[in-house]
Amino acid sequence: MRRLKRQMLRELVRENVELITGQPPRRERRRARLRLTARMAAVVVLSMGLLGSSRLISSFDTRPGAAQAQGQKGVAGLAPAARFAATPGPIAAAVFPLAVRKVAIDAGHGGKSVGTRTMPLGLVEKDVTLDVAARLRKLLEADHFQVLMTRDHDQEVALEKRGELANKGGADIFVSIHVNWIENRRARGVETYFLGPTEDPYLTRLAADENRESGYSLADMRKLLDRIYADVRQEKSRKLAETMQASLFSSLRKVNPKLDDRGIKAAPFIVLLASEMPAVLAEVSCLSNEQEARMLAKPLYRQYIAEALAAGVRSYADLVEDKPQAAQLSKKGT
Amino acid sequence: MSEKKEVLHVGIDLGTSRSSVSASNGQRQFVESYVGWPLDMVSRKVLKKSVLVGREALENRTMLDLHRPLEQGLIKEGSEKDEAAVRELLWHLLSLAGVSREGRNNFKVRAVVGVPAEALRVNKQQVRKAMQGAADSLMIVSEPFAVAYGLESLLHSMIVDLGAGTTDFCVMNGRLPTDEEQRTLPQAGDWIDEQLFRLVRERHAQASVSIHMVRTWKEEGSFVGASKTPVIVTVPVAGKPTQIDITNEMRQACEAIVPPIAESMLELLSRVQPEYQEKVRNSIIVSGGTGLIRGLGPRLEQELQAVGGGKVRVVKDPVFVGSDGGLAIALDAPEDDWERLSA
Repeated sequence: MRRLKRQMLRELVRENVELITGQPPRRERRRARLRLTARMAAVVVLSMGLLGSSRLISSFDTRPGAAQAQGQKGVAGLAPAARFAATPGPIAAAVFPLAVRKVAIDAGHGGKSVGTRTMPLGLVEKDVTLDVAARLRKLLEADHFQVLMTRDHDQEVALEKRGELANKGGADIFVSIHVNWIENRRARGVETYFLGPTEDPYLTRLAADENRESGYSLADMRKLLDRIYADVRQEKSRKLAETMQASLFSSLRKVNPKLDDRGIKAAPFIVLLASEMPAVLAEVSCLSNEQEARMLAKPLYRQYIAEALAAGVRSYADLVEDKPQAAQLSKKGT
Repeated sequence: MSEKKEVLHVGIDLGTSRSSVSASNGQRQFVESYVGWPLDMVSRKVLKKSVLVGREALENRTMLDLHRPLEQGLIKEGSEKDEAAVRELLWHLLSLAGVSREGRNNFKVRAVVGVPAEALRVNKQQVRKAMQGAADSLMIVSEPFAVAYGLESLLHSMIVDLGAGTTDFCVMNGRLPTDEEQRTLPQAGDWIDEQLFRLVRERHAQASVSIHMVRTWKEEGSFVGASKTPVIVTVPVAGKPTQIDITNEMRQACEAIVPPIAESMLELLSRVQPEYQEKVRNSIIVSGGTGLIRGLGPRLEQELQAVGGGKVRVVKDPVFVGSDGGLAIALDAPEDDWERLSA
């Protein structure tokens, strides 16, 4: 027992010294090192892939019979005609195993746009989202992510401006934080949206409410929509939504056992449309449910939400960086 | 020649409801975690103090700007007054242990302060800030770890620390617990108070009830399962003291906390390496003031039947178990290490 105590005290002192000196804990340092290694590996694999493609292009011969000759030397099991003559399909997201370094955090609403509110507790959506966003920022920065906030105080920012800020700032992913209001006051839960069409009248109404202050015309919107669907980022956005939703639900259910998993959904939110990177909108709680509103009033619950979102970002970053790239690429025959 | 200072080791359990201190000079004291400042000149004259702490603050709350600075086991954020209240609370605890502000220079204070298991670095930094000037060296530990250390249950055991603000869980595997081995739930003593307050208000709409009254009733008559004696309390109804029976409401409020505790307990157990799960199941320790709910230990043992049964021990002296553990850590830490931990 004495030896055990001595060993634990040593660990405890080391942890406290790290706290005093402002060093990240050893576990986090190890994780950061792993992340860096994974990023470097991804860059190397991608560079090799691109180098390979350029060689392929430069050696591509249009003379009759040349393609066949190329095919004989090419990737086994893939007919050369299929490789060069087939109509180009949509680009698979796995071709771009890019690291997540910068995260755009969008605290929903702000200024005159207050969002939903609950009168008895005096809780207003714009304040809750800003608080959660600030907590999330601290957590992600501690985890060595760069963070870009679309707002860091109570100010009104147009929806299209939020996307622009993320685009100009070079964000790798975009996470918009909102709090839900559901007509059925007994309903509670978390849900995550990614950009896409919907035929659900509830989601159409919800998107219309959130899009009200967008600043876009219908013509602008058409152009943006056309562009979006040709983009690989929808697939990445779906994956990001799945990861965030799984993290939100599994983490928050521990402290809020009655929480519902309302799943991931596609909806045309302007704030998602305007950003050029994988983007999601997370409805992290329901102000319409009295019990959830009471929990949201407590800083600790808001901290749990931020931690769940941070865990989701980390999982997504790990997911895109740790994928066996070579296998993915070979499956596509590049 | 410099005068050699006397070293005083202290363990502090900074709780949402009560805070306690155990010191190497034999002092063991606790105080309700309330701090109040007189509202105006009149109240200052009546109270003859610039700040009141603990029971004294609670009893004079009508004349005070009263603060309960720890919410769910953490310093409330964004409120300078609450940060000041924590500093006052810490100084008060030290004075109870024999270190006054005036005589502070006569001692070298080595302090260990317990915080909730899942407290973040930013919360720990806040505690460090609040302790500046009060201690020479400071170590911050997770509360359930301090409990486990004090009880020498460091191997194959689980601590369930049921406080007022949070319920902390921690599996001890012979090393400093990792994040995966710890949990913090917001359902704790205060949460039971809220349930009881709501239930009593629903059933006895005419009765005039405050959260402070409910808290006192819970501390005296909380239970789960069958009750041998009814819980009867006196409340003003239209100004007239009236006795009401709150036995069912008390049972309902207290039993509401069992499912979240059982769920976290079983979830943490499922993460323990299979060969040690039985050992951990048979060494579950419930500490903290809310752990004194009558019948809670046997009820949690019932819940453990679902995974093959187990033993739950409720600590008899929950007020000091955290601070005693902190003191044990303070005394065991080598002098060299304390030098590296200047506050």
